[in-house]
Amino acid sequence: MATATEAITAPLPAVEHERWRPSTAGWAARLTVLAIIFGGIFWITAIVPQYWADRISLAAIFAIIGLSLNIVLGYVGQVSLGHHAFVGIAAFVAAYYVTEKAGCTPEEGCALGDFALGMVFAVVSGGVAAMLLGLVALRIKGLYLALITLTYGFMAERSIFEIPFLTRGGAGMPAPRPDGFTTDRAFAYLTFAFLALVIFVDWRFLKSKVGRAVLSIKHSEPVAASYGINVTAYKVLAFVLSGLFAGMAGGLMAFRATNVVSNDFNFSIALLWVLMVVVGGLGNRTGVIFISAFFALFPFLLELWSWLDHYVSGSFGRSLSVVTVTVGALLAILTVIQFPGGFAEQVSPITRWLRGQKFTAHPEGHGHAPKEKGEKKHALLSKLGLHKGSEGKTDGASEEEAKVKEDVDA
Amino acid sequence: MRTAIVSGAIVALCAIILISGSGDDTGPNAFIIIGVSQGAVYGLVSLGLVLVYKGSRVFNFAQGEFGSIAAFIVYVLIEQVRSMEIPYGVAALIAVIGVVIIGLIMERVIVRPLLNAPRVTLLVATIAFALFAIGTQLLLFLPEPKSLAPIISKIPGGGNVELFNFIVEPQRLLVLAILVVVAGVLGYFFSRTDLGLAVLATSQDAFATRVVGIGVERMSRFIWGTAAFLGAVAGILYVPLSGALTPGVMTSGVLIPSFTGAVIGGMTSLPGAFVGGVIVGIVQALSNWGSGHYYLGERLWQDIVPGGPDVLLMLVLLLVLLIRPQGLLGSEA
Repeated sequence: MATATEAITAPLPAVEHERWRPSTAGWAARLTVLAIIFGGIFWITAIVPQYWADRISLAAIFAIIGLSLNIVLGYVGQVSLGHHAFVGIAAFVAAYYVTEKAGCTPEEGCALGDFALGMVFAVVSGGVAAMLLGLVALRIKGLYLALITLTYGFMAERSIFEIPFLTRGGAGMPAPRPDGFTTDRAFAYLTFAFLALVIFVDWRFLKSKVGRAVLSIKHSEPVAASYGINVTAYKVLAFVLSGLFAGMAGGLMAFRATNVVSNDFNFSIALLWVLMVVVGGLGNRTGVIFISAFFALFPFLLELWSWLDHYVSGSFGRSLSVVTVTVGALLAILTVIQFPGGFAEQVSPITRWLRGQKFTAHPEGHGHAPKEKGEKKHALLSKLGLHKGSEGKTDGASEEEAKVKEDVDA
Repeated sequence: MRTAIVSGAIVALCAIILISGSGDDTGPNAFIIIGVSQGAVYGLVSLGLVLVYKGSRVFNFAQGEFGSIAAFIVYVLIEQVRSMEIPYGVAALIAVIGVVIIGLIMERVIVRPLLNAPRVTLLVATIAFALFAIGTQLLLFLPEPKSLAPIISKIPGGGNVELFNFIVEPQRLLVLAILVVVAGVLGYFFSRTDLGLAVLATSQDAFATRVVGIGVERMSRFIWGTAAFLGAVAGILYVPLSGALTPGVMTSGVLIPSFTGAVIGGMTSLPGAFVGGVIVGIVQALSNWGSGHYYLGERLWQDIVPGGPDVLLMLVLLLVLLIRPQGLLGSEA
């Protein structure tokens, strides 16, 4: 008995990882840079005029939406074109609760408790909307899911957003901000808190067993299933989490605008959200957050150049927000064709350095050549018409299996 | 064989409704006629969708925008440069040629580099292209709706066309005629000509096709050009019927019913796309009529369920995908 216990408790033979660690000064430098980035964001929010603080809160909300879509697009590898349905439903539910049930008015304001309950209802309604769709739609294979989510979004736009008691027609449903957060600046800090919560949940989710299972599904469904992963159940779970995030974003959007109008949630903004996740870098939290915020702020940044504003509104009679759609789509096309890693890959040396690794473009511990080279070789083979040979196939399969194994073992 | 049975059933059903409802002004007859012509537009777009799906194995979300771009080109040529007095036919021809060129550029710049990429990537790329087109239209033309005149507003020689006591706009008849012609030509092309068979072969196995000496790139170019052509024709025909030309009109109004039509038809079957589009048009029109005609208790259905036809459309799509993913006429899932 004793020997057995000893054997178990005995220290494992030390494995030489040879893992590079920064020096104390290196850590200090990294912490300083991080502090400057985060401090800078708070400092800017504190000194800009109120209307800019309002725009910054929109950026934080967009970041939440980006993280929500990132779960579906980046982790599960499916396309959702109907996210405006989840966001919109949640926004209307939150507004309906605080105005009709809790009796908040724009004049008298709203108690913090009512606001909190309104947010809870928003989050839950987003999750339920996603679950209802996910339970049915995720059984359907392949690209058809994109089609169904698009139809779902349209259905919501034409039907749910037209229900008179929920949306009060075109006038919109008021959603007064809670006491203490009525100013734009205070509300911006509130959205930061929600964004931090979403980032935390997303981080823990990805590190959990469920997160690893979901990632393995993205790499290969058959291989994941062969490891005993219930593919549909985990997909639905991820979808629901995405819906919960979207619901939170919807609730915040309602209180930010203080009046919810169904026109705010149309399909072209849902498409734009998809593109901003792609540009940010699929599955990469940092990239998605920054690019989502960039997409939200882009029209206002353009406005800073008054000559441009003058030119666009003078010759086209349009607000600059329209430019976001065009530029965002162009960026997405460029990303997909030329830089598949998105913004995240471009700044990966910086993020890697901040995480306590060396300042390089290639991840540590992966001895082989960077991935692009392999892809280029593959493209070359396919150009020669050789990639369909049996060799290539088995190679690909074992590679996929190795990837999934890595996830499951992790 | 199945094609004949399904289309025969649709025609028979329409005939029964038309005959039994004839003489009733509030009946569904007018809606059937509207539905069939609307369905014809969906059918044209569905044909393009199926063609691209067969060729590149991807849903082309930019298919609707081919139509919007064409409609805007016609609008600019006819309404904005009025002084040049360009005839409608010439303007339409210029628009179609322009859109085909845009389709070819899209194939070269977006689709070709992504031929070996995951399908989801290519899907996102087509979405990005559609959004780029919508954004550009928003920039150049305000979001306010504009109107585009129909190609033919009067039957030559005067007089109205009446079907079952309802006056039918000539444009609707034109849409039907063009759809029948296009479907016939495409059907002949894909079953009888060498080029058509080569395209079909490419969609089944690109590698094997390459081995027997067919240029896959050429086929891809051809497919996207044809799809752009179909989209452009649909756009020019549909916009005068719908009454309003807004940025992204074909994506918001036509793309989803067309996708539903293509899925009902089986996504891989060209006659299926044709038939599916018409079915969706009829279902939409009838549910529009029904929700404005029948009461539940005191209130009309359309007051109880706003956007009923859109809900119905989604349910139809879900049911088809869950119960019969290969569609009515498709050969594979």
